[in-house]
Amino acid sequence: MSEDWRCSGCDSCKTECEAYSHVYVIMEHIDGKILPVSLEMLGEARRLFDDYNARYSSNEKVVAVILGNDIKDYSKELIEYGADVVVCADHPELKDFRNTIHTKVISQIALDKEIASKIEPDYAKQFKKPRYIFFAADSIGRHLSSTVLVELESGLASDINKLVIKDLNVTHQIKTDGKPTDFKKTLEMYRPDFSGFLWTTILCLNNTTPAIKREYYPQGCSIIPGVFEPIKPDPKRSGEIIFYEPKIEENDLKVKVLSHKIIKSEVDFEIRKAVVSFGRGIKDAPDENIKLVAELAKQLDAEIGISLPISKKLLPASQSISSTYMIPARVIGTSGSKISPMLYVAAGISGAMQHVAGMQDSEFVVAINPDVDSPIKNECDIFINGRMEDVIPLLVEELKKQQQVVQAG
Amino acid sequence: MEPLNLAVIVKLEPDFSEGNVSYKPDGTLNRNETKSTLGPHSGIAAKAAFYAKVKYGAKISVCSMGPPFAELALEQAQQTCDADVLHLYSDRIFAGADTLATAETLRTGITDKMQGKMDIVFSGHRASDGETGQTGPQTAWKLGFTFLGNVISYDVNLEKRTVVAKCLLTLNGVPNVVEEIEAPLPVFISIDPSYKSNYTTVSQRIAFEKYQKEAYERAKNYKQYLKVFNIDELGVDKTLVGLAGSPTIVYQVERIPKGKATRQAEVLDGSNPEHIRKAVAKMKEALSAMVIK
Repeated sequence: MSEDWRCSGCDSCKTECEAYSHVYVIMEHIDGKILPVSLEMLGEARRLFDDYNARYSSNEKVVAVILGNDIKDYSKELIEYGADVVVCADHPELKDFRNTIHTKVISQIALDKEIASKIEPDYAKQFKKPRYIFFAADSIGRHLSSTVLVELESGLASDINKLVIKDLNVTHQIKTDGKPTDFKKTLEMYRPDFSGFLWTTILCLNNTTPAIKREYYPQGCSIIPGVFEPIKPDPKRSGEIIFYEPKIEENDLKVKVLSHKIIKSEVDFEIRKAVVSFGRGIKDAPDENIKLVAELAKQLDAEIGISLPISKKLLPASQSISSTYMIPARVIGTSGSKISPMLYVAAGISGAMQHVAGMQDSEFVVAINPDVDSPIKNECDIFINGRMEDVIPLLVEELKKQQQVVQAG
Repeated sequence: MEPLNLAVIVKLEPDFSEGNVSYKPDGTLNRNETKSTLGPHSGIAAKAAFYAKVKYGAKISVCSMGPPFAELALEQAQQTCDADVLHLYSDRIFAGADTLATAETLRTGITDKMQGKMDIVFSGHRASDGETGQTGPQTAWKLGFTFLGNVISYDVNLEKRTVVAKCLLTLNGVPNVVEEIEAPLPVFISIDPSYKSNYTTVSQRIAFEKYQKEAYERAKNYKQYLKVFNIDELGVDKTLVGLAGSPTIVYQVERIPKGKATRQAEVLDGSNPEHIRKAVAKMKEALSAMVIK
């Protein structure tokens, strides 16, 4: 299928073109702040749709959807960050996030023809649902995306870090009855697996087989925070703001948020000049090796980080070591913190893409690894070839020695 | 007062613990060589259900969708939560289901094949092998239950028939938040990995020991408690499960291409004392550099 396919308005797909349009991007905000991931998603939606509208000679919109109480001021910012339209549901009962209420209101907005006609009258007549819908892959969005997509009866891919819109020809035993079938404007959703080395492309596709014929829209995904760049905000950008009066059921108000406490993390990467991280390279002796890492960190006055697989507690370590070090708060990468210390030491970390995304802005990077072919070599300034259990004690000894020299001097 | 009626959704997963997991030379999982076990997050969900049994008295049903050998997960879950009923929904047609189709299968089992109405259904936060944490909330929505995610602790008020749960929100770019949420039963609870059961009274600890012993005995004869349902026995709409009921498909799997080298690494030999001295000097230099950030 060629890349430059243009919609000719033929009957076969015209109805579908008009029935499903735009990308709806679900915003998150907490304690008066729009979350960075929301602006990142808007940025990616903007880039995708600038290209999409040019390629398909269409005029589909990037629609930011925001729910909350007293949030009217956010709309302008969302337009500056790339939204063509902001749908704003401002209501006292939307002050707290409650999954049931939020799911219903987002679904109402997604199905509302009046909103659709305000977004773009040209597409409103046949409008059934959005074409695509994006959520954040975080504690709120991951669950919210799941429930919304059940309500909208469509498909969802989670934890995505790359998106491409393409015309595909797919043969699927069940969906297409084994026949090659064209699927225009399909969202390819790339998901890195837990190891960070494999990419799975997930598609949300209609069933064309007659016995199970079904149209699956919107094509939904949740997007990993920190992956996409927001666009440079432009105060001159103009856009439409649509206020939506949500319908909230009495019964759903029985769910109450009793308290909301901000908690300080026991891990703070910001206040340290250095971060020492470890990965699966600890595996031969997790307890002993983590103690070595801790010793090195102490000498460098560094915070301790880990790679994602370590947080899954799959390596045997004592309870105290595991609960101190193998915790999600220490993860460096797209699923954890993005940091930029003056010194970053990666011990026994191979350098999967998702980890690199979290540390590549460090000023100076040292890797300790026995495999000179591991990807981390491309991301460091010094590569110390060797096993961490052999190298770290030497580094610690040398650091102590130089410390003494300084003190003696 | 009626004892609570609880269900737990569990999943059989590759065993990632050292010695059982096998990686290919390129760093990807070797599924053929890797053993299977009850998923660690499923295990935590079972623990959370056991907490209600100890504290309030409860009947617990555990269910899973999977191949016949997934009964291993049910056995292990029974050992954790002293389950009274084990359900396995197993049919070739279920294979390849995405989360929406899986949720339909589980919903049907919980509503149609388990006794009585459920008060709480538990699931793990997510699976470790690539499953996405969607199955729990999607099953909850299909059941029509209030969904409570990221739950780190909870208590039930039997008289008011409500749950109060503490939920941990981890959001990028802002500090973590703990919210306390009250909801009327029935609810669906997805358990955060940092969940802890707190047994505070002596009677709770005695009940804990008693049920733990019982769980161990039961799990030895888990087949007595196990019921396996194929698609016809489950009575689920065939167009809503398996591949036919899955909006999403896995289109392709590829290696993530290596990024271009962003830095030119100087390679040092970790066994050479001179090189170690050099590395330390460079690290010190980096730390003392004046950088305005």
